[in-house]
Amino acid sequence: MLDALKDIVRKSSIHVCLINTGGCNGCDIEVVALLSPRYDLEQYGIYVHNNPREADVLLITGAVTEQWKEKLRRIYTKAPEPKVVVAIGNCPLSGDVFNQEGGSVYAPVSDFIPVDAEISGCPPRPSEILEAILAVAPGAIAAKGRQKE
Amino acid sequence: MILPLGPIHPAFKEPLRLKLKTQGEKVLSAEIDYGYVHRGIERVMKGKTWQKSIYLSERVCGICSYIHTQTFAETFELISGETAPLRAQYLRVLTNELDRIQSHLLANSTYFKALEHETLFMYMLYLREPIMDAIELLTGNRVNMGWNVVGGVRMDAHESHLQQIKEIILKLESEYPKYVEMFEQGPLVGLRSHDVGKMTKEEAIKGRAVGPIGRGSGIKHDLREDHPTYRDYLDFKVIWRKEGDNFARTMNRFDEIPESINLIKQVIDNIPQGEVRKKVNIGAGYGEWRNEAPRGEVTYMIETNGNLINNISIRTPSIMNIDSCAKYMLKDAATVADAVATYASVDPCVACAERVVILDENEGKKEFQGIFNIK
Ligand code: SF4
Repeated sequence: MLDALKDIVRKSSIHVCLINTGGCNGCDIEVVALLSPRYDLEQYGIYVHNNPREADVLLITGAVTEQWKEKLRRIYTKAPEPKVVVAIGNCPLSGDVFNQEGGSVYAPVSDFIPVDAEISGCPPRPSEILEAILAVAPGAIAAKGRQKE
Repeated sequence: MILPLGPIHPAFKEPLRLKLKTQGEKVLSAEIDYGYVHRGIERVMKGKTWQKSIYLSERVCGICSYIHTQTFAETFELISGETAPLRAQYLRVLTNELDRIQSHLLANSTYFKALEHETLFMYMLYLREPIMDAIELLTGNRVNMGWNVVGGVRMDAHESHLQQIKEIILKLESEYPKYVEMFEQGPLVGLRSHDVGKMTKEEAIKGRAVGPIGRGSGIKHDLREDHPTYRDYLDFKVIWRKEGDNFARTMNRFDEIPESINLIKQVIDNIPQGEVRKKVNIGAGYGEWRNEAPRGEVTYMIETNGNLINNISIRTPSIMNIDSCAKYMLKDAATVADAVATYASVDPCVACAERVVILDENEGKKEFQGIFNIK
Protein backbone atom coordinates (compact mmCIF):
# COMPACT_ATOMS: atom_id res chain seq x y z
CA MET A 1 0.00 0.00 0.00
CA LEU A 2 2.72 2.42 1.03
CA ASP A 3 4.79 1.30 -1.93
CA ALA A 4 1.92 1.87 -4.32
CA LEU A 5 1.41 5.35 -2.94
CA LYS A 6 5.11 6.03 -3.22
CA ASP A 7 5.07 4.93 -6.85
CA ILE A 8 2.26 7.29 -7.70
CA VAL A 9 4.04 10.17 -6.02
CA ARG A 10 7.40 9.39 -7.54
CA LYS A 11 5.93 9.13 -11.00
CA SER A 12 4.91 12.76 -10.97
CA SER A 13 7.79 14.07 -8.91
CA ILE A 14 11.00 13.02 -10.54
CA HIS A 15 14.21 13.85 -8.76
CA VAL A 16 17.25 14.21 -10.92
CA CYS A 17 20.92 13.96 -10.07
CA LEU A 18 23.42 15.26 -12.56
CA ILE A 19 26.77 13.49 -12.64
CA ASN A 20 29.60 14.84 -14.73
CA THR A 21 31.93 11.91 -15.22
CA GLY A 22 34.45 13.92 -17.17
CA GLY A 23 32.99 15.97 -19.97
CA CYS A 24 33.58 19.50 -21.10
CA ASN A 25 30.73 21.07 -19.16
CA GLY A 26 28.77 21.82 -22.28
CA CYS A 27 26.14 19.24 -21.50
CA ASP A 28 25.95 20.32 -17.87
CA ILE A 29 25.16 23.89 -18.75
CA GLU A 30 22.49 22.73 -21.15
CA VAL A 31 20.89 20.96 -18.20
CA VAL A 32 21.17 24.19 -16.23
CA ALA A 33 19.53 25.96 -19.16
CA LEU A 34 16.63 23.56 -18.74
CA LEU A 35 15.95 25.12 -15.37
CA SER A 36 15.55 28.53 -16.93
CA PRO A 37 12.08 30.06 -17.25
CA ARG A 38 12.05 29.33 -20.97
CA TYR A 39 12.15 25.55 -20.60
CA ASP A 40 10.99 25.40 -16.99
CA LEU A 41 11.82 21.84 -16.11
CA GLU A 42 9.90 22.01 -12.87
CA GLN A 43 6.52 22.35 -14.55
CA TYR A 44 6.91 18.69 -15.56
CA GLY A 45 7.52 17.72 -11.98
CA ILE A 46 11.22 17.26 -12.51
CA TYR A 47 13.51 18.61 -9.86
CA VAL A 48 17.29 18.80 -10.19
CA HIS A 49 19.00 18.67 -6.84
CA ASN A 50 22.16 16.64 -7.37
CA ASN A 51 21.78 14.30 -4.46
CA PRO A 52 22.23 10.69 -5.60
CA ARG A 53 20.64 9.28 -2.47
CA GLU A 54 17.18 10.51 -3.38
CA ALA A 55 17.44 10.50 -7.16
CA ASP A 56 15.08 8.74 -9.51
CA VAL A 57 16.98 9.73 -12.60
CA LEU A 58 20.74 9.88 -12.95
CA LEU A 59 21.87 12.09 -15.78
CA ILE A 60 25.34 11.14 -16.89
CA THR A 61 27.34 13.65 -18.88
CA GLY A 62 30.89 13.01 -19.83
CA ALA A 63 33.14 10.13 -20.67
CA VAL A 64 34.35 8.12 -17.71
CA THR A 65 37.71 9.33 -16.43
CA GLU A 66 40.28 7.52 -14.32
CA GLN A 67 38.85 8.82 -11.04
CA TRP A 68 35.31 7.92 -11.92
CA LYS A 69 35.94 4.31 -12.88
CA GLU A 70 35.06 2.94 -9.48
CA LYS A 71 33.10 5.84 -8.07
CA LEU A 72 30.45 5.82 -10.78
CA ARG A 73 29.26 2.37 -9.80
CA ARG A 74 29.27 3.41 -6.14
CA ILE A 75 27.12 6.45 -6.82
CA TYR A 76 24.82 4.36 -8.94
CA THR A 77 24.21 1.92 -6.10
CA LYS A 78 23.53 4.79 -3.73
CA ALA A 79 20.45 5.83 -5.68
CA PRO A 80 17.31 4.04 -4.50
CA GLU A 81 15.39 1.62 -6.72
CA PRO A 82 13.72 2.10 -9.15
CA LYS A 83 16.12 4.33 -11.00
CA VAL A 84 16.71 5.43 -14.55
CA VAL A 85 20.00 6.39 -16.14
CA VAL A 86 20.01 8.87 -19.00
CA ALA A 87 23.28 9.44 -20.84
CA ILE A 88 23.54 12.92 -22.30
CA GLY A 89 25.79 13.81 -25.18
CA ASN A 90 28.36 11.98 -27.20
CA CYS A 91 30.76 11.70 -24.29
CA PRO A 92 29.00 8.93 -22.38
CA LEU A 93 28.07 7.17 -25.61
CA SER A 94 31.45 6.99 -27.27
CA GLY A 95 33.91 9.20 -25.44
CA ASP A 96 33.48 11.83 -28.13
CA VAL A 97 36.68 13.59 -29.18
CA PHE A 98 38.55 12.52 -26.08
CA ASN A 99 38.43 8.86 -27.00
CA GLN A 100 41.54 8.93 -29.15
CA GLU A 101 45.08 7.78 -28.71
CA GLY A 102 46.48 9.56 -25.67
CA GLY A 103 43.18 10.42 -24.05
CA SER A 104 42.39 9.00 -20.65
CA VAL A 105 38.71 8.22 -20.87
CA TYR A 106 36.99 4.88 -20.52
CA ALA A 107 33.76 5.38 -22.43
CA PRO A 108 31.11 4.18 -22.94
CA VAL A 109 29.31 4.59 -19.67
CA SER A 110 27.22 1.50 -20.36
CA ASP A 111 30.31 -0.57 -19.56
CA PHE A 112 29.96 0.55 -15.98
CA ILE A 113 26.29 1.00 -15.29
CA PRO A 114 23.12 0.12 -17.19
CA VAL A 115 21.84 2.99 -19.34
CA ASP A 116 18.16 3.45 -20.14
CA ALA A 117 18.24 6.30 -22.61
CA GLU A 118 20.91 7.89 -24.72
CA ILE A 119 20.92 11.28 -26.39
CA SER A 120 23.58 12.05 -28.95
CA GLY A 121 24.82 15.52 -29.71
CA CYS A 122 27.67 17.62 -28.54
CA PRO A 123 25.85 18.99 -26.65
CA PRO A 124 22.23 18.02 -27.40
CA ARG A 125 19.69 20.83 -27.29
CA PRO A 126 17.91 21.36 -23.97
CA SER A 127 14.59 20.35 -25.47
CA GLU A 128 16.05 17.01 -26.54
CA ILE A 129 17.29 16.34 -23.04
CA LEU A 130 13.89 17.18 -21.63
CA GLU A 131 12.20 14.94 -24.15
CA ALA A 132 14.42 12.00 -23.25
CA ILE A 133 13.86 12.37 -19.53
CA LEU A 134 10.13 12.55 -20.00
CA ALA A 135 10.11 9.64 -22.41
CA VAL A 136 11.76 7.16 -20.07
CA ALA A 137 11.44 8.36 -16.51
CA PRO A 138 7.74 8.16 -15.57
CA GLY A 139 7.16 4.85 -17.33
CA ALA A 140 10.31 3.22 -16.10
CA ILE A 141 9.69 4.27 -12.55
CA ALA A 142 6.18 2.86 -12.67
CA ALA A 143 7.18 -0.36 -14.41
CA LYS A 144 10.14 -1.18 -12.26
CA GLY A 145 8.20 -0.31 -9.17
CA ARG A 146 5.54 -2.87 -10.03
CA GLN A 147 8.06 -5.55 -10.81
CA LYS A 148 9.42 -5.24 -7.33
CA GLU A 149 6.17 -6.06 -5.60
CA MET B 1 36.19 17.66 12.16
CA ILE B 2 36.84 17.10 8.49
CA LEU B 3 33.75 17.66 6.39
CA PRO B 4 34.00 16.33 2.86
CA LEU B 5 31.76 17.91 0.22
CA GLY B 6 31.34 16.43 -3.20
CA PRO B 7 32.26 15.18 -5.72
CA ILE B 8 28.53 15.35 -6.37
CA HIS B 9 26.99 18.14 -4.37
CA PRO B 10 23.87 20.24 -4.89
CA ALA B 11 25.85 23.47 -5.08
CA PHE B 12 28.55 22.30 -7.46
CA LYS B 13 28.07 22.34 -11.17
CA GLU B 14 30.96 20.00 -11.59
CA PRO B 15 32.58 17.20 -9.69
CA LEU B 16 35.21 18.26 -7.22
CA ARG B 17 35.98 17.30 -3.67
CA LEU B 18 36.19 20.02 -1.08
CA LYS B 19 37.53 18.99 2.31
CA LEU B 20 36.61 21.51 4.95
CA LYS B 21 38.27 21.44 8.33
CA THR B 22 35.57 22.65 10.68
CA GLN B 23 35.07 23.44 14.31
CA GLY B 24 31.34 23.49 14.96
CA GLU B 25 29.94 25.54 12.09
CA LYS B 26 33.14 27.51 11.60
CA VAL B 27 35.40 26.59 8.74
CA LEU B 28 39.08 26.65 9.64
CA SER B 29 40.68 25.66 6.37
CA ALA B 30 39.91 23.97 3.11
CA GLU B 31 41.56 21.56 0.79
CA ILE B 32 40.60 20.79 -2.77
CA ASP B 33 40.84 17.51 -4.58
CA TYR B 34 40.87 17.58 -8.35
CA GLY B 35 40.99 15.03 -11.05
CA TYR B 36 37.43 14.01 -11.70
CA VAL B 37 37.30 15.36 -15.23
CA HIS B 38 40.86 14.86 -16.38
CA ARG B 39 40.64 13.72 -19.98
CA GLY B 40 44.17 14.19 -21.33
CA ILE B 41 43.34 16.71 -24.03
CA GLU B 42 46.89 17.93 -24.59
CA ARG B 43 48.17 14.43 -25.03
CA VAL B 44 45.52 13.73 -27.64
CA MET B 45 46.50 16.90 -29.52
CA LYS B 46 50.16 16.01 -29.83
CA GLY B 47 51.15 14.90 -33.30
CA LYS B 48 47.99 16.18 -34.94
CA THR B 49 47.36 19.00 -37.38
CA TRP B 50 45.54 22.12 -36.24
CA GLN B 51 42.41 21.06 -38.07
CA LYS B 52 42.29 17.95 -35.94
CA SER B 53 43.01 19.76 -32.70
CA ILE B 54 40.98 22.92 -32.74
CA TYR B 55 37.76 21.18 -31.83
CA LEU B 56 39.53 19.51 -28.93
CA SER B 57 40.61 22.87 -27.61
CA GLU B 58 37.00 23.95 -27.74
CA ARG B 59 36.09 21.09 -25.48
CA VAL B 60 38.54 22.00 -22.75
CA CYS B 61 35.63 23.83 -21.20
CA GLY B 62 32.09 24.09 -22.39
CA ILE B 63 31.21 27.35 -20.67
CA CYS B 64 33.97 29.47 -22.14
CA SER B 65 34.45 27.22 -25.15
CA TYR B 66 34.73 30.11 -27.56
CA ILE B 67 37.85 31.79 -26.25
CA HIS B 68 39.82 28.56 -26.38
CA THR B 69 39.49 28.26 -30.13
CA GLN B 70 40.26 31.94 -30.59
CA THR B 71 43.43 31.67 -28.56
CA PHE B 72 44.37 28.48 -30.35
CA ALA B 73 43.89 30.08 -33.75
CA GLU B 74 45.70 33.26 -32.75
CA THR B 75 48.68 31.30 -31.48
CA PHE B 76 48.99 29.64 -34.86
CA GLU B 77 48.59 33.00 -36.59
CA LEU B 78 51.35 34.37 -34.39
CA ILE B 79 53.69 31.51 -35.27
CA SER B 80 52.97 32.00 -38.97
CA GLY B 81 53.31 35.79 -38.73
CA GLU B 82 49.85 36.50 -40.10
CA THR B 83 46.72 38.15 -38.78
CA ALA B 84 43.12 37.41 -39.55
CA PRO B 85 41.23 39.83 -41.84
CA LEU B 86 39.73 42.78 -40.01
CA ARG B 87 36.13 41.66 -40.46
CA ALA B 88 37.03 38.31 -38.91
CA GLN B 89 38.68 40.08 -35.99
CA TYR B 90 35.50 42.07 -35.39
CA LEU B 91 33.39 38.94 -35.57
CA ARG B 92 35.70 37.31 -33.05
CA VAL B 93 35.21 40.19 -30.65
CA LEU B 94 31.46 39.96 -31.15
CA THR B 95 31.34 36.26 -30.33
CA ASN B 96 33.75 36.64 -27.47
CA GLU B 97 31.65 39.32 -25.81
CA LEU B 98 28.41 37.39 -26.30
CA ASP B 99 30.11 34.43 -24.72
CA ARG B 100 31.36 36.57 -21.84
CA ILE B 101 27.84 37.85 -21.14
CA GLN B 102 26.32 34.38 -21.02
CA SER B 103 29.19 33.05 -18.92
CA HIS B 104 28.95 35.88 -16.38
CA LEU B 105 25.18 35.48 -16.13
CA LEU B 106 25.59 31.77 -15.58
CA ALA B 107 28.28 32.34 -12.96
CA ASN B 108 26.11 34.76 -11.04
CA SER B 109 23.13 32.46 -11.28
CA THR B 110 25.21 29.68 -9.73
CA TYR B 111 26.23 32.00 -6.95
CA PHE B 112 22.60 32.90 -6.22
CA LYS B 113 21.72 29.24 -6.26
CA ALA B 114 24.40 28.64 -3.65
CA LEU B 115 22.87 31.44 -1.59
CA GLU B 116 19.48 29.79 -2.02
CA HIS B 117 18.15 32.93 -3.67
CA GLU B 118 15.96 31.16 -6.18
CA THR B 119 14.38 34.33 -7.61
CA LEU B 120 17.59 35.93 -8.80
CA PHE B 121 18.82 32.55 -9.98
CA MET B 122 15.82 32.29 -12.28
CA TYR B 123 16.13 35.90 -13.45
CA MET B 124 19.76 35.34 -14.41
CA LEU B 125 18.83 32.31 -16.48
CA TYR B 126 15.96 34.26 -17.99
CA LEU B 127 18.39 36.95 -19.13
CA ARG B 128 20.84 34.39 -20.42
CA GLU B 129 18.58 32.52 -22.83
CA PRO B 130 18.25 35.35 -25.41
CA ILE B 131 22.05 35.64 -25.45
CA MET B 132 22.28 31.94 -26.22
CA ASP B 133 19.88 32.61 -29.09
CA ALA B 134 22.16 35.36 -30.34
CA ILE B 135 25.13 33.02 -30.24
CA GLU B 136 23.16 30.39 -32.09
CA LEU B 137 22.07 32.92 -34.68
CA LEU B 138 25.65 33.95 -35.33
CA THR B 139 27.48 30.65 -35.19
CA GLY B 140 24.79 28.02 -35.59
CA ASN B 141 25.40 26.38 -32.25
CA ARG B 142 24.66 27.09 -28.63
CA VAL B 143 27.65 25.79 -26.76
CA ASN B 144 30.49 24.37 -28.81
CA MET B 145 30.45 26.74 -31.71
CA GLY B 146 33.29 25.68 -33.98
CA TRP B 147 33.53 29.28 -35.07
CA ASN B 148 37.26 29.94 -35.34
CA VAL B 149 39.72 28.63 -37.84
CA VAL B 150 43.36 29.57 -38.22
CA GLY B 151 43.20 32.66 -40.41
CA GLY B 152 39.74 33.90 -39.56
CA VAL B 153 36.28 32.63 -38.80
CA ARG B 154 34.37 29.81 -40.42
CA MET B 155 31.69 31.79 -42.18
CA ASP B 156 30.45 35.31 -42.66
CA ALA B 157 27.71 36.82 -40.54
CA HIS B 158 24.54 37.85 -42.25
CA GLU B 159 23.67 41.56 -42.01
CA SER B 160 20.12 40.82 -40.83
CA HIS B 161 21.50 38.49 -38.17
CA LEU B 162 23.73 41.24 -36.88
CA GLN B 163 20.71 43.52 -36.58
CA GLN B 164 18.77 40.82 -34.75
CA ILE B 165 21.67 40.38 -32.35
CA LYS B 166 21.68 44.10 -31.78
CA GLU B 167 18.00 44.01 -30.90
CA ILE B 168 18.59 41.22 -28.41
CA ILE B 169 21.42 43.18 -26.86
CA LEU B 170 19.37 46.39 -26.65
CA LYS B 171 16.57 44.51 -24.93
CA LEU B 172 19.03 43.07 -22.41
CA GLU B 173 20.43 46.53 -21.82
CA SER B 174 17.02 48.01 -21.05
CA GLU B 175 16.04 45.27 -18.60
CA TYR B 176 19.37 44.78 -16.99
CA PRO B 177 19.65 47.53 -14.32
CA LYS B 178 16.53 46.27 -12.55
CA TYR B 179 18.11 42.92 -11.75
CA VAL B 180 21.44 44.37 -10.75
CA GLU B 181 19.68 46.66 -8.35
CA MET B 182 17.89 43.70 -6.85
CA PHE B 183 21.23 42.29 -5.84
CA GLU B 184 23.02 45.52 -5.05
CA GLN B 185 20.31 46.95 -2.81
CA GLY B 186 18.73 43.73 -1.59
CA PRO B 187 19.22 43.56 2.17
CA LEU B 188 19.37 39.78 2.52
CA VAL B 189 21.49 38.89 -0.49
CA GLY B 190 23.72 41.77 0.48
CA LEU B 191 24.08 40.59 4.08
CA ARG B 192 25.12 37.18 2.96
CA SER B 193 27.64 38.56 0.47
CA HIS B 194 29.33 41.55 2.11
CA ASP B 195 32.54 40.74 3.97
CA VAL B 196 32.23 37.04 3.28
CA GLY B 197 35.14 35.18 1.71
CA LYS B 198 37.49 38.12 1.76
CA MET B 199 40.74 38.08 -0.18
CA THR B 200 43.09 41.05 0.00
CA LYS B 201 45.04 42.37 -2.94
CA GLU B 202 48.30 40.94 -1.59
CA GLU B 203 46.73 37.52 -1.22
CA ALA B 204 45.24 37.75 -4.68
CA ILE B 205 48.69 38.50 -6.12
CA LYS B 206 50.25 35.68 -4.14
CA GLY B 207 47.51 33.30 -5.20
CA ARG B 208 47.78 34.54 -8.82
CA ALA B 209 44.04 35.18 -8.97
CA VAL B 210 42.94 36.37 -12.40
CA GLY B 211 39.83 37.62 -14.12
CA PRO B 212 36.85 38.98 -12.18
CA ILE B 213 38.16 37.26 -9.07
CA GLY B 214 41.44 39.15 -9.16
CA ARG B 215 39.74 42.34 -10.29
CA GLY B 216 37.27 42.02 -7.42
CA SER B 217 40.25 42.13 -5.08
CA GLY B 218 41.78 45.22 -6.61
CA ILE B 219 44.05 43.90 -9.33
CA LYS B 220 43.32 46.14 -12.30
CA HIS B 221 44.31 43.76 -15.03
CA ASP B 222 42.35 42.87 -18.12
CA LEU B 223 44.16 41.30 -21.02
CA ARG B 224 41.68 42.72 -23.49
CA GLU B 225 43.54 46.02 -23.08
CA ASP B 226 46.54 44.48 -24.83
CA HIS B 227 44.67 42.58 -27.50
CA PRO B 228 45.29 44.20 -30.91
CA THR B 229 41.65 44.39 -32.01
CA TYR B 230 40.39 45.84 -28.73
CA ARG B 231 43.37 48.16 -28.39
CA ASP B 232 43.27 49.61 -31.89
CA TYR B 233 39.60 49.74 -32.81
CA LEU B 234 37.36 49.55 -29.76
CA ASP B 235 36.79 51.36 -26.50
CA PHE B 236 36.04 49.79 -23.19
CA LYS B 237 36.65 50.35 -19.52
CA VAL B 238 38.28 47.84 -17.18
CA ILE B 239 35.97 47.11 -14.28
CA TRP B 240 37.57 46.51 -10.90
CA ARG B 241 36.68 46.82 -7.25
CA LYS B 242 38.55 46.95 -3.99
CA GLU B 243 36.49 45.00 -1.45
CA GLY B 244 37.57 41.47 -2.38
CA ASP B 245 34.51 39.75 -0.92
CA ASN B 246 31.75 37.70 -2.50
CA PHE B 247 29.78 40.86 -3.17
CA ALA B 248 32.68 42.45 -5.06
CA ARG B 249 33.25 39.42 -7.22
CA THR B 250 29.59 39.12 -8.13
CA MET B 251 29.20 42.87 -8.73
CA ASN B 252 32.36 42.87 -10.83
CA ARG B 253 30.81 40.34 -13.15
CA PHE B 254 27.55 42.30 -13.19
CA ASP B 255 29.36 45.50 -14.12
CA GLU B 256 31.37 43.90 -16.89
CA ILE B 257 28.24 42.98 -18.80
CA PRO B 258 27.31 46.59 -19.77
CA GLU B 259 30.89 47.00 -21.03
CA SER B 260 30.43 43.92 -23.18
CA ILE B 261 27.12 45.27 -24.42
CA ASN B 262 28.88 48.49 -25.43
CA LEU B 263 31.58 46.56 -27.25
CA ILE B 264 29.00 44.55 -29.15
CA LYS B 265 27.21 47.72 -30.21
CA GLN B 266 30.49 49.23 -31.40
CA VAL B 267 31.29 46.09 -33.36
CA ILE B 268 27.90 45.88 -35.07
CA ASP B 269 27.92 49.57 -35.96
CA ASN B 270 31.48 49.69 -37.29
CA ILE B 271 32.12 46.26 -38.73
CA PRO B 272 34.05 46.60 -42.00
CA GLN B 273 33.22 44.66 -45.14
CA GLY B 274 35.61 42.16 -46.62
CA GLU B 275 37.02 38.69 -46.30
CA VAL B 276 36.45 36.64 -43.18
CA ARG B 277 39.01 33.97 -43.78
CA LYS B 278 42.33 33.67 -45.46
CA LYS B 279 44.73 30.88 -46.15
CA VAL B 280 47.60 30.74 -43.70
CA ASN B 281 50.78 28.87 -44.43
CA ILE B 282 51.57 27.48 -41.03
CA GLY B 283 55.12 28.31 -40.03
CA ALA B 284 57.31 26.19 -37.83
CA GLY B 285 58.24 27.32 -34.35
CA TYR B 286 56.98 28.12 -30.91
CA GLY B 287 54.29 30.61 -30.00
CA GLU B 288 52.55 31.78 -26.88
CA TRP B 289 49.35 33.78 -26.85
CA ARG B 290 47.16 34.97 -24.02
CA ASN B 291 43.56 36.11 -24.04
CA GLU B 292 41.04 37.26 -21.51
CA ALA B 293 38.48 34.51 -21.03
CA PRO B 294 35.36 35.22 -18.96
CA ARG B 295 37.16 33.79 -15.96
CA GLY B 296 40.58 35.31 -16.45
CA GLU B 297 43.51 34.73 -18.65
CA VAL B 298 44.00 31.66 -20.77
CA THR B 299 47.39 30.90 -22.26
CA TYR B 300 48.23 28.64 -25.14
CA MET B 301 51.80 27.55 -25.70
CA ILE B 302 52.24 25.66 -28.94
CA GLU B 303 55.27 24.22 -30.64
CA THR B 304 54.74 23.12 -34.20
CA ASN B 305 56.85 21.84 -37.06
CA GLY B 306 54.82 23.63 -39.69
CA ASN B 307 52.23 20.93 -39.92
CA LEU B 308 51.86 18.85 -36.79
CA ILE B 309 51.73 20.01 -33.20
CA ASN B 310 54.85 18.86 -31.38
CA ASN B 311 53.93 20.16 -28.03
CA ILE B 312 51.06 22.06 -26.56
CA SER B 313 50.32 23.40 -23.15
CA ILE B 314 47.15 25.15 -22.09
CA ARG B 315 46.86 27.24 -18.96
CA THR B 316 43.38 28.10 -17.85
CA PRO B 317 42.30 30.68 -15.29
CA SER B 318 40.20 28.50 -13.04
CA ILE B 319 43.07 26.57 -11.55
CA MET B 320 44.59 29.71 -10.04
CA ASN B 321 41.22 30.99 -8.90
CA ILE B 322 40.16 27.75 -7.25
CA ASP B 323 43.48 27.49 -5.49
CA SER B 324 43.40 31.02 -4.16
CA CYS B 325 39.84 30.36 -3.08
CA ALA B 326 40.91 27.36 -1.02
CA LYS B 327 43.97 29.10 0.39
CA TYR B 328 42.68 32.54 1.24
CA MET B 329 38.92 32.93 0.95
CA LEU B 330 37.88 29.78 2.76
CA LYS B 331 40.40 30.00 5.56
CA ASP B 332 37.93 31.25 8.12
CA ALA B 333 34.45 31.21 6.75
CA ALA B 334 31.83 31.66 9.45
CA THR B 335 29.63 28.77 8.40
CA VAL B 336 29.73 25.87 6.00
CA ALA B 337 26.94 27.52 4.00
CA ASP B 338 29.15 30.58 3.56
CA ALA B 339 32.00 28.37 2.44
CA VAL B 340 29.83 26.85 -0.28
CA ALA B 341 28.67 30.30 -1.39
CA THR B 342 32.24 31.57 -1.45
CA TYR B 343 33.30 28.64 -3.54
CA ALA B 344 30.47 29.39 -5.98
CA SER B 345 31.43 33.08 -6.12
CA VAL B 346 34.80 32.12 -7.58
CA ASP B 347 32.98 30.80 -10.63
CA PRO B 348 34.97 27.61 -10.67
CA CYS B 349 35.21 25.79 -13.93
CA VAL B 350 36.62 22.43 -13.13
CA ALA B 351 36.72 21.09 -16.65
CA CYS B 352 39.26 23.80 -17.48
CA ALA B 353 41.44 23.16 -14.54
CA GLU B 354 41.97 19.49 -14.87
CA ARG B 355 44.80 18.81 -17.16
CA VAL B 356 47.66 18.74 -14.71
CA VAL B 357 49.10 15.43 -13.62
CA ILE B 358 52.19 14.96 -11.52
CA LEU B 359 54.01 11.71 -11.70
CA ASP B 360 55.98 10.80 -8.63
CA GLU B 361 58.98 8.99 -10.09
CA ASN B 362 59.95 7.13 -6.95
CA GLU B 363 56.62 5.69 -6.12
CA GLY B 364 55.25 5.62 -9.62
CA LYS B 365 52.19 7.27 -8.22
CA LYS B 366 49.84 9.38 -10.28
CA GLU B 367 48.51 12.48 -8.62
CA PHE B 368 46.42 15.38 -9.73
CA GLN B 369 47.76 18.63 -8.35
CA GLY B 370 47.02 22.30 -8.16
CA ILE B 371 49.26 24.91 -9.72
CA PHE B 372 50.90 25.71 -6.36
CA ASN B 373 52.67 22.42 -6.11
CA ILE B 374 54.13 22.54 -9.58
CA LYS B 375 55.62 26.00 -9.32
S1 SF4 C 1 29.15 15.57 -25.34
FE1 SF4 C 1 30.23 17.38 -26.09
S2 SF4 C 1 29.28 19.08 -25.00
FE2 SF4 C 1 28.73 17.22 -23.90
S3 SF4 C 1 30.28 17.01 -22.29
FE3 SF4 C 1 30.96 15.81 -24.07
S4 SF4 C 1 32.29 17.20 -25.22
FE4 SF4 C 1 31.08 18.46 -23.83
